Amino acid sequence: MASSEEPMKSFTKAMFAGGLEQDIVFPYPKMDPDEEENLSMILGSIREFFKDKVDSAEIDRTGEIPAEVLDGLNELGVMGMSIPEEFGGYGFSSTAYNRVFEEVAARDASLGVTVGGHQSIGLKALLLHGTEEQKKRFLPKLASGEWLAGFALTEPGAGSDAAGIQTKAIQDGPDGQYTLNGSKIWITNGGLANFFTVFAKTPVGEDGKENITAFIVTRDMPGFASGREEEKLGIHGSSTTELTFDNVKVPQDYVIGPLGKGFKVAMEVLNSGRLGLAAGCAGGVKRLAAMSAEYAQNRKQFNTAIADFEMIQHKISDMVVDAFVAESMVYLTTGLIDRGDVDYSIESAMCKVFASEAVWRAANEGMQIAGGLGYSKEYPYEQTLRDARINLIFEGTNEVLRAFIALAGMQEHGEYLKKVGKALQSPLSAMGLLTDFAIHRIKGRVATQRLEGISEVLRAELGKFEEYAKDLHLVTERVLGKYRKDIINQEFLLHRIADMAIDLFGMVSVISRVDSLIKEKGQEKVQREIAITKIFCEEAWRRVRRNSRQIDNNIDDLRKEVALGTYEAKGFAVDFVA
Amino acid sequence: MKIIVCMKQVPVKDSLLKIKDDNSWVHEDELNYEINESDHYALETALRLKEAHGGEVVILTMGPERVKEAIKQGLAKGADRALYINNADFTSIDPMTNAKVLAAAISPETPDLVLAGLQTDDNGSGQTGVILAENLGLPHTSIVMEIEKLDNGIKVKRELESGWFQWIELPLPALLTIQSGINQIRYATIKGIMMAKKKEVKELALSDLGLSGADVAAGSTGLDFQKVYVPEKTKQALILEGDPKDVAEQLADKLKNEAKVF
Ligand SMILES: Cc1cc2nc3c(=O)[nH]c(=O)nc-3n(C[C@H](O)[C@H](O)[C@H](O)COP(=O)(O)OP(=O)(O)OC[C@H]3O[C@@H](n4cnc5c(N)ncnc54)[C@H](O)[C@@H]3O)c2cc1C
Repeated sequence: MASSEEPMKSFTKAMFAGGLEQDIVFPYPKMDPDEEENLSMILGSIREFFKDKVDSAEIDRTGEIPAEVLDGLNELGVMGMSIPEEFGGYGFSSTAYNRVFEEVAARDASLGVTVGGHQSIGLKALLLHGTEEQKKRFLPKLASGEWLAGFALTEPGAGSDAAGIQTKAIQDGPDGQYTLNGSKIWITNGGLANFFTVFAKTPVGEDGKENITAFIVTRDMPGFASGREEEKLGIHGSSTTELTFDNVKVPQDYVIGPLGKGFKVAMEVLNSGRLGLAAGCAGGVKRLAAMSAEYAQNRKQFNTAIADFEMIQHKISDMVVDAFVAESMVYLTTGLIDRGDVDYSIESAMCKVFASEAVWRAANEGMQIAGGLGYSKEYPYEQTLRDARINLIFEGTNEVLRAFIALAGMQEHGEYLKKVGKALQSPLSAMGLLTDFAIHRIKGRVATQRLEGISEVLRAELGKFEEYAKDLHLVTERVLGKYRKDIINQEFLLHRIADMAIDLFGMVSVISRVDSLIKEKGQEKVQREIAITKIFCEEAWRRVRRNSRQIDNNIDDLRKEVALGTYEAKGFAVDFVA
Repeated sequence: MKIIVCMKQVPVKDSLLKIKDDNSWVHEDELNYEINESDHYALETALRLKEAHGGEVVILTMGPERVKEAIKQGLAKGADRALYINNADFTSIDPMTNAKVLAAAISPETPDLVLAGLQTDDNGSGQTGVILAENLGLPHTSIVMEIEKLDNGIKVKRELESGWFQWIELPLPALLTIQSGINQIRYATIKGIMMAKKKEVKELALSDLGLSGADVAAGSTGLDFQKVYVPEKTKQALILEGDPKDVAEQLADKLKNEAKVF
């Protein structure tokens, strides 16, 4: 990991700052051929297993995953994919892990959330920051699935504002033992897991200032309890419960990572965990596209298969484009994780927002294509719709993630401007900075940065990407100049800036993927992929342009007025008949 | 117990077969392949015998490069090693020729038991296994559903017709052809898949088996393969028209006098 002096490169942060780091996103990451071959076989096993053993509708009805199914997944090895071989797992790359996870989640969302709660987030802190001793003790059991894991951050008073947690750990026992008190809500695998990563506030350092620390808590610890199962809209088979800690004694060596650095640990876990969620959503869109296309071809109205109606074709095409783009974003980003030397935090948040909204659109349109039957419990559409909805809420709501995308994107640039501001006060000592600044202005304003060597057939799409990447940078500079620190309160703008970044990242992801496909297989063989790229980019750049134009020219004040007026009226104040 | 399992890769069920213009065969390059169904059960049977009584399971397969995929699947499910006969220099759909080549590969291994699927889902002759037994000089039983190990051999349950079964005792070594659907086939686990790469796959050419081109030449066994074609339609549907009473009479007459169903 790079030192804090020298932050890791980030494609998106660089884009906000006016540069395009081509080598981060081109060529599209390719899996190791051996791993890819294994992966194909593993996917084959997963598909067979689901076909024979998993009745998703039954899981939805009963609200339980049969023991046979969990045992089967354990046996297949699914619970230990991301754990290194030395600890009883299989040491998958992030790409391979997420691809298998996608297959599981797309076939049954409850199972997806259970596996994700275990592996994408539950045991991730241990994997990233655990001591050798901790890993030896817990990972083998977690890899085999004998134990499931959970990730416990959210509390009644601290959801989106996770830093506001109240659970406390006081070091007051023998041998540095901690006493844990408090409660968590909405914890995935709460009723099943034996191992929890729990975040709590601890007094740290001389002054006793409280900071968050991550702890291992096991179900067998006296004072630990999990509550009843929440009744939810969807993912009925996934266990979600409250956890309470009543003077739970936690040994000193159950602390994960540095004392007081738990919030950073939690964010790191979620940065990678979100990708699993996004991969699962991408898989869901793929599944819906296939299901809907089949249904539309079989259903006849007006003596015609509804598949022949152009309004239906538009929907199917949208689903396929969404699936392809979500997939391209996700596996570009898992490739970044596997590289190990770039910061992927913004990219993973963008994948989560895009893919979760894509699966929601697809579930909605899938139901529409199925008509009345789509609304019936006898068919899978309504369950898919209910199951899909959670993805916009957990692992960071899409609102909070949009704010994160925009602010983290602008952060580097903001800091740069701050430094420049300081430099201007003592110009002699900062000659270097100023020269750099001058170059930077030239890069941003005069010379456009271009991506080199991309297939000619994608010329127009690439041109739009370059043009609007530059536009994002200019917008950033403008709003930072105008609002400075208060930018964090300008959420109308943050929303637009985040959406610009997401569309741009979507564009560069598909362009990169399809460019690599063209080079590998020849243009003739990938006509459909090229068409998808053109459809997405055409719509994306127009959205980016609209968002950009509305940064300065908008009706936000009116919106604010209506919202505030409604708060004040304590009711719906514009009724037809009051 | 050392068990050799003969496995073949066949086109995926319900594949759309396109016949070559010269009627010599179907276009193979457009097809997807999978392990022949009853061979899956043969492998599962072998793995269970090994788990119960110890020993070794060896996969034997023949075909072009693509069949390595089937080998890897078998190894991933738990077979110990594989013999692969690369038939790049000959092709045969003749069970006698194939059995001859397979026998040459099996003989030096001196297995206790050879298992094959009952029949293949592509050609469906059901002959290769039993001819192979003859070539190897082994006793054999076909359509086997259960195997019990005895002190001095095995006892097997064999499917007869109309829900009848037969129990037979055989000495070892022996060859059995295995019926589909007799057990629950296991899934290849991640562990198995990752270990498969490390297992031995011994590649054998005809010359390694002491055979020459003449041994496998078309027609050398007396089977004369002429052409592949889509079955020609010989029967046609007849649509009876008229009022229901009339039509019913006509229908009864045809069933009685033409179709002779009563
Ligand atoms: C089924 C399920 C499983 C879960 N699993 C886990 C788990 O395993 N571990 C865990 O720790 N947590 C888990 N959660 C909790 C989940 O992560 C939180 O529900 C989520 O972070 C939102 O927090 P909240 O519910 O308190 O909503 P709030 O934070 O109250 O948000 C309510 C609304 O306000 C919006 N909002 C909040 N702040 C802002 C802002 N600054 N700008 C704009 N809008 C804002 C939100 O986007 C949202 O629309 C789970 C939740 C569910 C429903």
